[in-house]
Amino acid sequence: MPELLEIQRDLAVSLHELDATPIAGRWLMGDAALIDRRLAIYRANVAATAVKALVAAYPVVRQVVGEAFFDGLARAYQHVAPSTSGDMFDYGSAFAGFVAEFPHTQSLPYLADLARLEWAVHRAYGAEDAVDWDRQALAQVAPAQQPAIRLKWAAGTAIFDSNFPIVRVWSIHQTDFDGEFTVDWSVRECALVTREGFRVLVSALDAGDAAFTTSSLAGAALGASAQAALAAEPGFDLGRLLGRLMASNVICGFTINKDDD
Amino acid sequence: MKTIPASAVGIGLRQPHYREVFEHKPELGFLEVHSENFFLDGGASMHALERARAAYPISLHGVGLSLGSADALAQAHLAKLKRLVDRVEPALVSEHLSWGSLGTRHFNDLLPMPNTREVLALLTERIDRVQSALKRSILVENVSAYIEFRDSDMTDTALLDELARRTGCAVLFDVNNLYVNAVNFGFDPVSRLADLRPEAVGEMHLAGHTAVDDCLIDTHGARVCSEVWALYQEACRRFGPKPTLIEWDTHIPALDVLLDEAAIAGSVARNTLEVSHA
Repeated sequence: MPELLEIQRDLAVSLHELDATPIAGRWLMGDAALIDRRLAIYRANVAATAVKALVAAYPVVRQVVGEAFFDGLARAYQHVAPSTSGDMFDYGSAFAGFVAEFPHTQSLPYLADLARLEWAVHRAYGAEDAVDWDRQALAQVAPAQQPAIRLKWAAGTAIFDSNFPIVRVWSIHQTDFDGEFTVDWSVRECALVTREGFRVLVSALDAGDAAFTTSSLAGAALGASAQAALAAEPGFDLGRLLGRLMASNVICGFTINKDDD
Repeated sequence: MKTIPASAVGIGLRQPHYREVFEHKPELGFLEVHSENFFLDGGASMHALERARAAYPISLHGVGLSLGSADALAQAHLAKLKRLVDRVEPALVSEHLSWGSLGTRHFNDLLPMPNTREVLALLTERIDRVQSALKRSILVENVSAYIEFRDSDMTDTALLDELARRTGCAVLFDVNNLYVNAVNFGFDPVSRLADLRPEAVGEMHLAGHTAVDDCLIDTHGARVCSEVWALYQEACRRFGPKPTLIEWDTHIPALDVLLDEAAIAGSVARNTLEVSHA
């Protein structure tokens, strides 16, 4: 084996495992105590970088559990799900799943959903900017073809259904929130994450809007999505929803496949 | 593409200073950003970089490519860097003389390597590949370190000079990193300047560090210390004027503090050059 590869393998073990200093020690100058102190600097740097990335992606989870607890949570996550990319924006994609299983956060059953929502917000922050499109063309589609329209959603748009008032929880933890800090825990919310301009918005959808958006985001045609929405909410108003989504550039185009009906 | 004059002094542009820099446009020769912070498709960060780019020459400084990983060069990472370079058309693109990943594990740190013939050969090939992918030459920076390898038979500076000779890359000479290593490993930093040909040096970095029990840690979280200013002065005397950058990444202070450090760097460089031409 080339020597450099052997050295890096040993160092990788020593950086990941706290008690593995001697493995890398054979390549390094100084006595065991010195090497141990110096490797500890690297371990601390590696941990700090991972924690910093999670702090940036999960600010609300951090507020909920407290900074010190979050720090421990982040380190525990790093141990089971270390970074695999040189791009730290990618780091933390499995955090919600980890939180769901973490023994010491079971008293906060909504925490995993909150993390899931924050990851969607994190991704939307860096999503491609919306480009202008021909809104008139959508209005001009012949009625018979309208059910076959497939909407094009702006990059970063995400939806997910929670058993908790997740949008409310997220909202009251925003720095610019100035309403009452009350949460009705009997409410279940479906969260829609969108990018409007450079701002990431999180809003709660009612059952009909949620069913439509879930279906359409997954690629279904307008007719099928509207049927799903009407099944969930007989009062579903397609025109009102589309108007709102188009006004905020969340819908940014459409296609029609003539073979669809 | 804007170019950076040799006498230019810049600062690392960090998020807390965006607004002030864009509104007041302080007099600076260039701005440097971490490439990986702008690997995004769009959004507020990319918009900020566009604004920076409209007003200043930009230097893209990579922290995640891991040139020295023994197993493989991360092609996906290189592709993201290429996309950014094509988008920004920066005046400078730099990477580190370090490794950070092995297999699927990424430490996201700038880990040192032994300076051996094997490493020289590997880095020569890697830098060639990066430069041909980006269709431009890059700069490679010496890193600070807390561990020292038994097998090294070259100094960092000599290795960098040889890489520059072989690949056409330039050296990003980090004055603080050399000083940190000189203290941590007990050598005379001034003697290392002789390893570098002045024409190989394309940029210099200045930053602050933190002293702990038995070594210096390169935190980029303090003002440049007097010993590093003295070493910078010596570097200016030997290398002539080179674009110089103030880096600050932790405990980021008010923009004025960075601008003050930049002004000091400018005057150290000017005074040194006037004396050497007198």
